[in-house]
Amino acid sequence: MVVGDIAVEVEVVVIGGGPGGYVAAIRAAQLGKEVVLIDKDTVGGVCLNRGCIPSKAVIHAAKTAATARKSEHMGIRVTGVEVDMEQVQAWKGGVVSKLTGGVQSLLKANGVTVVSGSALFMADNRIGVETPSGMEYFKYEHCILATGSRPVQIPAFPFDGEHILSSTEALALTEIPPSLLVIGGGYIGLELGTAFAKFGSRVTIIEMGANLLPGVDPTLVQIVKKNLKKLGVEILTQAAASGYEIRDGQIHVTADVQGNPRVLSADKVLVTVGRRPNTEELGLAQVGLTPDARGFLETDAQQRTQNATIFAIGDITHGPMLAHKASKEGIVAAEVIAGHASEMDAVAIPAVIFTDPEIATVGLSETEAQERGMETVVGKFPFAANGRALTTNDGDGFCTVVAEKSSGVVLGVHIVGPEASTLIGEATLAIEMGATLEDFHLTVHAHPTLSEVLMEAAADADGVAVHIAKRK
Amino acid sequence: MTIAFKLPDVGEGIHEAEIVRWLVNVGDTVREFEPIVEVQTDKALVELPAPTSGTVLEIKAQAGSLAFVGDVIIVFGEKGAEALDASATGAQTGAAVETLSPKGTSPAQPPVAQGEQLDLRTLPAGRVLATPATRKLARDLGVDLKLVTGTGKAGRVTKEDVRQFHQGDTQAPPSPPVAATHSSDAAPAATPAAPTRAAVPTPAPVIPSADDERVPLRGLRRTIANRMVQSAFTAPHVTAFDDVDMTELMAYRKQANALLAERGIKLTFLPFILKALTSALKAYPYLNAHMDDAAGEIVLKKDYHLGIAVDTPDGLLVPVLKHVDRKSILDIASEIKVLVDKTQARTLDVSEMRGGTFTISNMGPIGGLFATPILNYPEVGILGVHKIEEKPVVRNGEIVIRSMMNLSLSFDHRVIDGATAVRFTNHMKRLLENPNLMFLEMN
Repeated sequence: MVVGDIAVEVEVVVIGGGPGGYVAAIRAAQLGKEVVLIDKDTVGGVCLNRGCIPSKAVIHAAKTAATARKSEHMGIRVTGVEVDMEQVQAWKGGVVSKLTGGVQSLLKANGVTVVSGSALFMADNRIGVETPSGMEYFKYEHCILATGSRPVQIPAFPFDGEHILSSTEALALTEIPPSLLVIGGGYIGLELGTAFAKFGSRVTIIEMGANLLPGVDPTLVQIVKKNLKKLGVEILTQAAASGYEIRDGQIHVTADVQGNPRVLSADKVLVTVGRRPNTEELGLAQVGLTPDARGFLETDAQQRTQNATIFAIGDITHGPMLAHKASKEGIVAAEVIAGHASEMDAVAIPAVIFTDPEIATVGLSETEAQERGMETVVGKFPFAANGRALTTNDGDGFCTVVAEKSSGVVLGVHIVGPEASTLIGEATLAIEMGATLEDFHLTVHAHPTLSEVLMEAAADADGVAVHIAKRK
Repeated sequence: MTIAFKLPDVGEGIHEAEIVRWLVNVGDTVREFEPIVEVQTDKALVELPAPTSGTVLEIKAQAGSLAFVGDVIIVFGEKGAEALDASATGAQTGAAVETLSPKGTSPAQPPVAQGEQLDLRTLPAGRVLATPATRKLARDLGVDLKLVTGTGKAGRVTKEDVRQFHQGDTQAPPSPPVAATHSSDAAPAATPAAPTRAAVPTPAPVIPSADDERVPLRGLRRTIANRMVQSAFTAPHVTAFDDVDMTELMAYRKQANALLAERGIKLTFLPFILKALTSALKAYPYLNAHMDDAAGEIVLKKDYHLGIAVDTPDGLLVPVLKHVDRKSILDIASEIKVLVDKTQARTLDVSEMRGGTFTISNMGPIGGLFATPILNYPEVGILGVHKIEEKPVVRNGEIVIRSMMNLSLSFDHRVIDGATAVRFTNHMKRLLENPNLMFLEMN
């Protein structure tokens, strides 16, 4: 620190204004703390600016286009459906700025000072921020690290913004590429691949593993895979891309597909092979913190790192990289700093994937429960037997409920089907509340709604489902 | 194949231990018998060896948490087994791991009878069933949910259960281990009806301040707390004070140390005081006794096993010097040194802390005039000895300077009356003031 630089004293500094950081900043301010939020970019983080929100806007636009084209069977004939990608982007941009504007005014209303710039630890309790107008220094009592993650780049396919795209650039495309090759069949690749297929791109997805969506129950993925094929998406599993060349405006990717060399050509290549925590450029060594080999920081249940004045939340900590996990951890960290007995005690964190149909899961799968020595009972109900699903032309998919056999306590719920992302909310609350199968099926569920599948799946596990023939 | 390692019974009658420090991390390869974890029981710090060679898959009991005998604290897999891991896409895998072992807490436990094996799998869904709001209430009240009996469906803990537990403390913790483990061989381990918390007035509502630091009552501190409550609220304490003229003994000790100098030995006063104490205990057997509350009997002990309170950074420990009556001053001195060193290194064996018949607490080196020591229950007497100081006293009508030492004797008034206590200290006083008399009595 240069002599003469004056550090502004502040109680809490939050680094990163994503769904973890801005929530933590607001909660800390609500609890009476003086808070400075440092962000490199626009508040809202990846989630609002380059992730969850813009991708859901793009996915919804694509779905709308697809619905317009495929509604003839119900008597709706639409001809000449055109997608104006620039307009899609303008609309998406409007949604994003409405939300980031909302976050900015919430921060302001709570008295949080937002500083734009890159943060760097100088020493214990001291942080410097490189702002457009020079360095600013802060002396803090507590710091919450919420710097999030970024797409992993693979050496053979460096992002160039034009041919080889990360999810950020793919979400900003103002033209629909005639063909798109997606490297990586995880949830981001599938969500975007599906959207562009619906816009009209010819999409190929290559995945190194034996299945799409590694880590997700293959029976759920099966339904999604079937729909991808209907959309004309080519899926290559056990396939690895090794390099590319650009000829005649096309990208020719060399790949090994189940042992056979192949060349796959496309107008754009989207690389979605995972995300990496942003923990390198913060000067963490100055405060005695060392991320592990994959870039994650260890915390205790109160989100405290090994440096007692520094808390870490969200994608830079262990566990799934999900916005809602980050927000919860942000609230915990802020409350602990304010002296409350808060802790990250979530029994289960839901995960949702916006494929077609959607996949949403919470809690244990049957196998996971059995691996933990529990005797389980499983109930299943198809959307094809749900009135509401048929009236919206969304009869694909099913819901399973896994419970402990002796107590009936619900351990996990797994849904592939329409609005799975919304339905999982009831299941998550149930698991946190310690609900049993009976709690589910004795509760009246409105008819005709998709939520009836939860009631019926739970009833099936107890052998009392009404709308399904009893399984032998 | 995986191997789940359960917390073994690391010492007779021990039911729980605090996980102090893991010596291995998830993903590490360990060899059989390699130390993997340090645990602290109410008696000692113990290193546990790996039961097998393999890879650490999961650490279930985090450092700082309490684990019960029979809890799975770590899971091993065969060499090269994959660590459980949560990747960016495998969201539910991560969540699932946390389902069973919430960060920072030990695996959930139902309240069970002392000594019964605890098994995570006996709990519904492998956790304490409580809604998020109930869990918050428990944290705010400082209630450990694992100790609360749930009255709801499938054993669900309700807010009401938490409040009742907090107010009435109706469910005593599963093992108030101290009382049971510390009782000497003759005294049955029957835990007297839980130390009556009812006797403690309801504390004023706590207004938390942001500056407050909340330190969980763990390990040795918890043990001390439990034992003090039990003793203070079971035995009616009375403390008698006296002073002793140590001038003669000082002169004697000086001579003795001159003789012993070439052997590199330097005696403190404690061995002499222990000898005088033993003589007084022989003369007044009701002070060398235990109160057996369960049987309603006083147990007169025929051994002279003297507990010596030792201050350690973690708290007070009381190693026991056995058969003081049969040992020479020199033997006593060297044994005290060994016991104190082991106590401070926390390497005492459980057996070295058992069987005490009377306790002495030497406060001389620290200071203070008098104290009112709390009994090492079920013992009925404890003696505090204080620093030796030159003081003006009157001898033969003249003020002279003598080296004086104060004594504070606490006793269980159910067993001993005040007169006996004073006669007892008089006995000690007579011997300490006349060292020759003490040596004449020695066997």
